[in-house]
Amino acid sequence: MEPLSTFQVILKILLILTPVWIGLAAIFALSITYKRRLGLFGKLFDSPIGMIGFALVMFWVLVAVMGGPLDMLVTHDALGQVSGMKNKVPGTPLAGAEEGEYAWYLLGGDNLARDVFSRVIKGSWIVVQIAPLATVFAFMVGITLGLPAAYYGGKLDTVISFLANLILAFPVILLFYLLVTPEIVETGLPSYMAMCLFVFPLIFLFLLLNSKFHTRPALRTPLLIGVLGVGLWLYFSLISDKGTPVSFMPSWLDLFDIPGGILVIFVSVVFVNSPTVFRIVRGLALDIKTRDYVAAAQTRGEGAWYIMLWEILPNTRGPLIVDFCLRIGYTTILLGTLGFFGLGMPPESPDWGSTINEGRKLLSIYLHPALPPAIALLTLVLGLNLLADGLREESLKD
Amino acid sequence: MTASDDYDGPILEIEDLSISFFTRLREIPAVMDFSCKVMPGEAMGLVGESGCGKSTVALGVMQDLGVNGRVVGGTIKFKGRDLGKMSMEELRDLRGSEIAMIYQEPMASLNPAMKIGKQLMEVPMIHQGASKEEAYARALEVVTDVKLPDPKRMLNSFPHQLSGGQQQRIVIAMALMSKPSLLILDEPTTALDVTVEAAVVDLVKELGEKYGTSMLFISHNLGLVLETCDRLCVMYSGEAVETGSIEDVFDQMQHPYTQALFRSIPLPGADKNSRPLVAIPGNFPLPHERPPGCNFGPRCDYFEEGRCNAQNIPMTSVKGFDRHRSRCLRFEEIDWDAPLAAVVTNAKSEPGEVILKMDNLKKYYEVSANALFGGSKKVVKANETLSFEAREGETLAIVGESGCGKSTFAKVLMGLETATDGGITLDGASIGDVPIEARGTDLVRSVQMVFQNPFDTLNPSMTVGNQIIRALEIFKIGKTEGERRSRMLELLDLVKLPREFAGRMPRQLSGGQKQRVGIARAFAGGARIVVADEPVSALDVSVQAAVTDLLMEIQREEKTTLLFISHDLSIVRYLSDRVMVMYLGHVVEMGDTDQVFSPPYHPYTEALLSAVPIADTSIEKEHIVLEGDIPSAMNPPSGCPFQTRCRWKDQVPGGLCDKEVPPMRRLAEGHEVKCHLSDEILARMTPVIKIAAE
Repeated sequence: MEPLSTFQVILKILLILTPVWIGLAAIFALSITYKRRLGLFGKLFDSPIGMIGFALVMFWVLVAVMGGPLDMLVTHDALGQVSGMKNKVPGTPLAGAEEGEYAWYLLGGDNLARDVFSRVIKGSWIVVQIAPLATVFAFMVGITLGLPAAYYGGKLDTVISFLANLILAFPVILLFYLLVTPEIVETGLPSYMAMCLFVFPLIFLFLLLNSKFHTRPALRTPLLIGVLGVGLWLYFSLISDKGTPVSFMPSWLDLFDIPGGILVIFVSVVFVNSPTVFRIVRGLALDIKTRDYVAAAQTRGEGAWYIMLWEILPNTRGPLIVDFCLRIGYTTILLGTLGFFGLGMPPESPDWGSTINEGRKLLSIYLHPALPPAIALLTLVLGLNLLADGLREESLKD
Repeated sequence: MTASDDYDGPILEIEDLSISFFTRLREIPAVMDFSCKVMPGEAMGLVGESGCGKSTVALGVMQDLGVNGRVVGGTIKFKGRDLGKMSMEELRDLRGSEIAMIYQEPMASLNPAMKIGKQLMEVPMIHQGASKEEAYARALEVVTDVKLPDPKRMLNSFPHQLSGGQQQRIVIAMALMSKPSLLILDEPTTALDVTVEAAVVDLVKELGEKYGTSMLFISHNLGLVLETCDRLCVMYSGEAVETGSIEDVFDQMQHPYTQALFRSIPLPGADKNSRPLVAIPGNFPLPHERPPGCNFGPRCDYFEEGRCNAQNIPMTSVKGFDRHRSRCLRFEEIDWDAPLAAVVTNAKSEPGEVILKMDNLKKYYEVSANALFGGSKKVVKANETLSFEAREGETLAIVGESGCGKSTFAKVLMGLETATDGGITLDGASIGDVPIEARGTDLVRSVQMVFQNPFDTLNPSMTVGNQIIRALEIFKIGKTEGERRSRMLELLDLVKLPREFAGRMPRQLSGGQKQRVGIARAFAGGARIVVADEPVSALDVSVQAAVTDLLMEIQREEKTTLLFISHDLSIVRYLSDRVMVMYLGHVVEMGDTDQVFSPPYHPYTEALLSAVPIADTSIEKEHIVLEGDIPSAMNPPSGCPFQTRCRWKDQVPGGLCDKEVPPMRRLAEGHEVKCHLSDEILARMTPVIKIAAE
């Protein structure tokens, strides 16, 4: 078979991504039709910048979901090697293609003869999974510490702020290197850190529900038992992993095991992000706690956590949503950096950072293995930043 | 120089001006068909409620409407030249030199990173190309003109080193640097205290005469306009409804809105029992929901179906007056002197038992200069020996300017702070040192508060209904969700809001409506004492009357004790039974409303009374202007707290005022004054406010 021309390659890629285009079109059509009823999200569709950002982000989310768990878009096994395809340029026909196999390596093969296109798509799932989840955890930690620091002030604020500054002052990459060093992993430090960091969402949920519903015990008690029960189960499954010092759950109870490397990445990303979130939340809360409705809540004898979580927090949401989008972008880059340094991820992992690092070694001869993941990383982060910009702009209007 | 110097026509001539703002949904007309003329040396007042378009007119004159705003019709002529046809360069030349503007917030109008002197010198250097020395000399002259102490030091300081009143004087000085022909003042004193406001208004008037400047004075305060302007223009919902000279409009108004406005403000003589205020019914229409025909139609007592809402109504001249025009079809048919239709009068409610007692309450704050390394500790005495009693069902007004300690006192009463010394007794139980966390539900719900800022009093992310239900939950009222829900709806009825409001978000409500929700929330647990911290000062005049009435009505029904904190003496006289005047943490005078509002006064009360602008041409006021600003509570004067600004100080022999804090003296039954003045001098005091014989 003849190799494909550049034009044909682009055409075929667009064709393969058809489900993604359909999904994107559906989301946009629905959102634009109902934009007046969708609040801030609807306003996003008044800003071209926001729409571009949203389209880029949704593109990668759809690619990740369809390519990852649904296994739709990928043309070849992301880890499978095909002899004769090593470092082949984009559009090369598959050597010895059999019936039912896709006949080309659309974006060429890497130095281990794997399909670059499929690897980029599989890699997107890793990024889209870890980055938002790690950001959510960082926000939980930052909010749970930032609100009391601002609300109570005084010594508590001084101590927490000092700790936050301490973490911020520590070089991030060095911290990562330390955390993945086998000797340190053996001591169980990352697992213990996971224990500490992942307990915050539980505390957060408990305080959130208890402060609101403590006046209605009939509703509060079953609700808390349900939520905390599920939460604790997830929490224990998460922190208890075989082969680490923290392993106590019998395997029939343990819902899932996180591969050690990914847990370390997760922990470190949450660890370095939460002080920044803490500072933002603290600053916003310092401003909002002077409002009259906070004083009104105080004068009717509300508990401190109710005031923090239900009177102050909801009114900081504008800036927090914007920061959330930006932070997913940073986290994505951070994940890329970690992959690039070969930290955490297994060597054959298709995540973008590791793939760029692999491709880097032959960059002067073969450009094509490194370029697609780099462009993917760039467009996703660009999309997130544009989305954040659009949200900020629109939330300030009117 | 140019031809404009010997121009003697009107300085500003606005004809049929229409301004619209364009949002992504629709065009919002902000000003429609507005005309006015300002002659040289004349001061024109522009009065109206917020959202009526008065500031938009000012911005239109400055040709500074932002990206969304546009003049869609009519012309603005300055000294005969059309501003709309000028180029950007010509406009830049004009702004700041021929037309100057003074804004509401003085701190926001000054560059915080530049010394005052440099900011002032910029004006002549840019507009007249003056040299540095000339500019400095001029700056010094102007700063002396605005009566600031030590002008040289002023020029060498940064804006944050000055007080609010001083900053506003600097802004006025800056506006006068280039001797403008037209000065636009947009609510120049709203951010200032009453006594400081009086001094600034005085200054503006005096300088206007000295420099021969024409003024466009924008305000919501009719009393202030009466004191400063020659003519005024009343605006309603984007239109001028009545314009004429001050005397004509105040005494012989020819538009129903003007009349309704005057009936809703507490003038001397109004009384909550025998002559209550008449609130304007309904709400201010939103700019895109204006009614057809007359904008005021739906709220007007003289509305005639099929006539008032049939066509657009033009401005017509009123016969027999000079330049007096009204936008009303029926003004010639209306009997303007007809007495108010039978108003509901209420029997004066008798105060019951003493329920709240303050005994020598003291609240000190410790402020250390340097928190980390100790440093010298300073004590701020926010409240000094506060003693009073409040009875069931009575209204006690607490009057004073910012920094007098009235908010601190409220905090201690609510339990947000604990008293340093002395006690508060509620129903015989001591609560002065019980913080809010330690208070039982019963106590918490019986002492509640209504807050000042309507835009801040409700949580923006929770529906109105849920906020009231939350208060009910906390106060342990109602056993089930359903019970609390129906109680919440009853509370909405109580504050006269439609029941649909339960599902609305606070941003969908107007200021007055939000304040009603705040009142409903405070009364949710059957409060016995309600502290109202300036509950109406941020509302428009027509809404103020309605909210005040509501508060009074609920109070009468529930027999609540109302502690009404305010700086506005007109409203205090209208609704309170007893008055307590505070200055720098001290109670300087206390007594029945009549005792406090008639001589003998405490010198501070006297000055306060004189400072409050009253919108009534038949009132004659003695003119008392206080020198300087309120001293800082960090560094209070020795002896009597008021001695630095007191005009009676030299009447006390032996410099006693400098040395000793005067004791509280009883002048009559229930009337106490903290002053060294001898009885003879106090007896010689004359009333500050006199109603001229008609």
